[in-house]
Parts: sequence; structure tokens; C-alpha cells
Amino acid sequence: MPPGFVIIGASLAGGVAAATLRQDGFDGDVVLIGAEAQPPYERPPLSKQYLRGEAPFEKALVRPAGFYEQNRIETRFNTRATRVDPIRRTVALDTGSPVHYDKLLIASGVRNRRPPIPGLDLPGVFDLRSVSDADALRSRIVSGRKAAVVGMGFIGCEVAASLRQKGVEVVSVDPSPTPLFRVLGADVGRVMAAVHQDHGVQAVFGDVVTRFEGGAGVERVITRSGRRFDCDFAVVGVGVEPVIDFVAGSGIDTAHGVPVDEYCRTAFEDVYAAGDVANHYHPIFRKRMRVEHWQNAMQQGAAAARSMLGKRQPYDAIHWFWSDQYDVNLQYAGFHHEWDQMVVRGRLDDRRFLAFYLNQGRVDAVVGLNRGKDIRRAMALIKSRDVVDPRQLADEDIDLRSLAQTQITGDQK
Amino acid sequence: MMTTRSVTVARTADIKAGELAAFEVEGVRIAVANANGRFFAIDDTCTHEQCSLTEEGTLDGTVVTCGCHGAQFDVTTGQVLAPPAFEPVKAYPLRVEQGAVVIEI
Ligand SMILES: Cc1cc2nc3c(=O)[nH]c(=O)nc-3n(C[C@H](O)[C@H](O)[C@H](O)COP(=O)(O)OP(=O)(O)OC[C@H]3O[C@@H](n4cnc5c(N)ncnc54)[C@H](O)[C@@H]3O)c2cc1C
Ligand code: FES
Repeated sequence: MPPGFVIIGASLAGGVAAATLRQDGFDGDVVLIGAEAQPPYERPPLSKQYLRGEAPFEKALVRPAGFYEQNRIETRFNTRATRVDPIRRTVALDTGSPVHYDKLLIASGVRNRRPPIPGLDLPGVFDLRSVSDADALRSRIVSGRKAAVVGMGFIGCEVAASLRQKGVEVVSVDPSPTPLFRVLGADVGRVMAAVHQDHGVQAVFGDVVTRFEGGAGVERVITRSGRRFDCDFAVVGVGVEPVIDFVAGSGIDTAHGVPVDEYCRTAFEDVYAAGDVANHYHPIFRKRMRVEHWQNAMQQGAAAARSMLGKRQPYDAIHWFWSDQYDVNLQYAGFHHEWDQMVVRGRLDDRRFLAFYLNQGRVDAVVGLNRGKDIRRAMALIKSRDVVDPRQLADEDIDLRSLAQTQITGDQK
Repeated sequence: MMTTRSVTVARTADIKAGELAAFEVEGVRIAVANANGRFFAIDDTCTHEQCSLTEEGTLDGTVVTCGCHGAQFDVTTGQVLAPPAFEPVKAYPLRVEQGAVVIEI
């Protein structure tokens, strides 16, 4: 009997992994299990073009509708994996009998955090992860209505921008001093606060929503400091957590997601993980990290598939993501949590700059507003791990590509 | 049948190796790539979300990467090499005549 590979999670990482298995010539069975009703689709449009009604759902599909059947990929949508048994090599499902695997890929992603805020279950309080979430939210978008956006991370910021673009009045509340504060820090955060304020968002910082109130539906949000904001609906974006409950107790480690090495392998033989759920060892940064980016899910999904096919190529892509808000195209490359120095190229107030996050003279990450070209050029520098002169980094006349002394081989763009 | 016309858009010396330059031809913005001395013409507008490949993109050999969200196209054919774009950009026949870049549109 040919070997059978099973993938849990039919989204970007899982869908790309299934496609890559076939593309690279795998001939055995491939079973793609997904809790959602739809075939794998991309989430970035859900807070942007799709939410604003500018792009149809079909444009968000990871592969065209008929792809899976044509490629003999058995899909089990609307189906949830409830348990993994890595000794017997089975996956139990909420419907039907367990499936056997020779190799297993866990690509179950993340889910939104549901903090215990009173009134969170009132009709009209939304969060956003899936296309059905987006549909529910979209049906409330009418120019002139009032919305409360709770949390100004990436999802909150993008939703606030889309709502403003559709003429909805927006008040936002976030406990940090600025939007995107935890990831990007105060300097870049202040720029983004001004962007939102310029577009008419009533942005409140340093305060927390402690209650949603209303009758048949949400009518207002109440904050810790006693502010009250009337709203027709609310959107909550206060962070995510990896989906690992079906792995718990199986013996597979679930520390901060599913820990894997640079080949996407867990410590259990023939069990792999990729995408938002994978707490992966990064050979360039030499540590484990879990990221929630489109490009990582796609590239790591492909890398995991190749690894399952026995190819020994470490996954060492420099992480990269974007966020579009109004006319601002924000991009980020690298990985950082904290930094001992920040260097800015360009002027923050021009909303066209690069901000580099350094530790001990090395660039760990860069964020840019409306400078995608330079973000790409900075990636070689991040990959090189070279110590750089901060003055050169800040100097617009110096090509970023020339700052990496160590020549990089490979396909990093 | 649609007829094409030959339009001279630039001199080869105007476009540096490894760079793209955009030209407006009959209402269409066309990007001309100098891939290490070989010239190619494609639509300048990325099919993902309409960014200008010349203004935002980078050229590596014959691959142009859109600066907005990283889609990649083969400048020799217009084909998509990497998402998030999935529709190709149009490629135009191009020839070099005595130092002039001539596009068939
Ligand atoms: C609104 C929104 C906007 C975004 N915008 C951007 C952006 O602009 N740029 C960017 O870089 N990234 C963006 N992202 C992040 C990006 O979408 C994610 O990084 C990507 O979707 C991760 O893919 P994944 O396959 O790892 O996981 P997910 O997309 O989370 O998919 C996991 C799948 O597994 C399924 N699943 C979970 N448990 C089970 C189970 N037990 N059995 C069966 N199925 C299960 C889930 O239902 C889900 O379909 C955005 C995300 C959202 C929600
Ligand atoms: S506009 Fe070119 S990749 Fe998005």
C-alpha cells in the first residue's frame, strides 16, 4: 500500500502543503482535514478588500475550486480532528471513523482570544478570523453607523481603516500608548496613531474595554476609566492563541504552539507542523519562534511538505509581512521582540521611512511605511547577521544591499 | 483582427542594467526591463492590487518582485512566479533597433 499523508488544518499552510506534495511527485494518499466549510483561502483580504466588498471570495482561494479533486487530494471539510495518537498513528475526527497516517502535518493555525469581558456574547460584537466572521461583520457596514474597535493590533487597525473607508464612524480603544505598540514600539506606533486620527478614528489609548452593554444587541462599550461609547456594532481584536487542544495529552509537545526543528519536524517521528501554529527553530536567528504571517504559512507549508518527502532543506526564510491601512503600505521583515537601538532612515513624520530594530549592532528586523523596495533590500542584511554602522543604516544615499558584507547564497528575494 | 503598431519608447542607454523604466503607450503604462542587457516589456501594473512594478518593484535577473506584497513575475513572459498575484501581466513583443527600444502594442 502506498503511504498516506494526513494534514490537519485546511488553510494556507495546509493547502499549500497538500499542493506541494503533489507538485513534488508524491503518489500516495493525501487527506486534507479542515474544520471550516470552505476550501483553503487566504485571510488577508478579510480585513481589507473582501470586508469592503471590493473583491469576491473566489479571488481569495489558495487554489482554484477543482484543484484538490484533480490532484487526488481527499478533502474533509467541515470536519474537526479531535485527537492525535502518534503511537497508533491515527487522527480521530468529530465525524466518521479515525484516519490512519504514515506522516502527519499539523497546520491548525491560531484562533482569536476571547477574553472574559461581560457582554462579549451580545449580538453585534464580532471578531474576525474566518470568511463567515467577515460576512457577518460586512453585513453591518453601513455608512454613518458607529463602530467600536477593541484592540489596535494589526487586525484592529486594518478593520478600523476599512470601516472608515466605508464611512463608518469608528472609536478605538487599546490599553497601550499607541497602535501596534507591542510589535513596533512607541515611535512607529505614534505615526500609525496619527494616520488613524487623520482618517477620523477617535482613537483612545491607555484604556481598556471592560464591558459591552445593550439589549437585543450591543449598544455601547464601557471602559475601565469610565468612558462610554455608543456603537451599532463592535469588533474585538485582542490577540490569538495557537490551536493545540486536539494535540494535548498525545505526547506531542505543545509549548507555545507545536515546537518543530528547522525541518518542520516535531520530536515525534513522522509528525510535522507548519504555519501559525508552528513554534519553529530558525537557523539564522538560532532560536524558536512562532509568527502569524501569510508568507510564513505559505513557505513553511511548502517546506514541511518537502521535508515529509525526505528532502533535507532547512526552512530559513527571513519572515516578512505587510499590512495595508488606508494609503499606508506597512511592511516588516525579520524577527524581534525587543531592541537595544532603533535606527530610522527617512523621517517618521513623512510616513515614508524605514525603522531598523537592532540588538548589539545587528539588524534583527525592519519596518517600513511605503518603502517595500527597501524592505526587500534590507532582507539580505538581516540574513547576514553582520554588525552595521548605524550612521550608514540611516543614510539614504547608501544602498542597503551594500551593507551586508557576508554574501548570501540562496533564493532570498 | 487586432492590428499591432511598433512604438519606439526609449533608447537602450536610458535604462540601466537591472532596472525597470515605465512608459505610457496609448494609455497603457508599460514597464521595460533591462535584464543584464536583454530588454523585455510587460504591463507596469501589478495584477494583484495595481501597484506600479517600476516604482515599487525590484528586478533580479528576469524576475520582477512587486514591492507592495511580494508577487513575482517573469519579465520574459509576464507569468506569475509567486503569489499573491495569480493573473499574469501582459508581455509585449520588443525589439532593439539601432539602440532604440521598439515595442509592439
Ligand atoms: C483578518 C486577517 C487579516 C490578515 N492579514 C494579513 C496580512 O495582511 N499580512 C500577513 O502577512 N498576514 C495576515 N494575516 C495572517 C495570515 O492570514 C495567517 O498567517 C495565515 O492564515 C496562517 O495560515 P495557517 O494555515 O498557518 O493557519 P490558519 O489560517 O489559522 O488556518 C488553520 C486552519 O486549521 C483549521 N483547524 C484548526 N483546528 C482544527 C482541527 N482540530 N481540525 C481541523 N481543522 C482545524 C482552522 O479551522 C483553520 O481553517 C491575516 C489574518 C487575518 C485573520
Ligand atoms: S500589488 Fe503587487 S503584490 Fe500586491
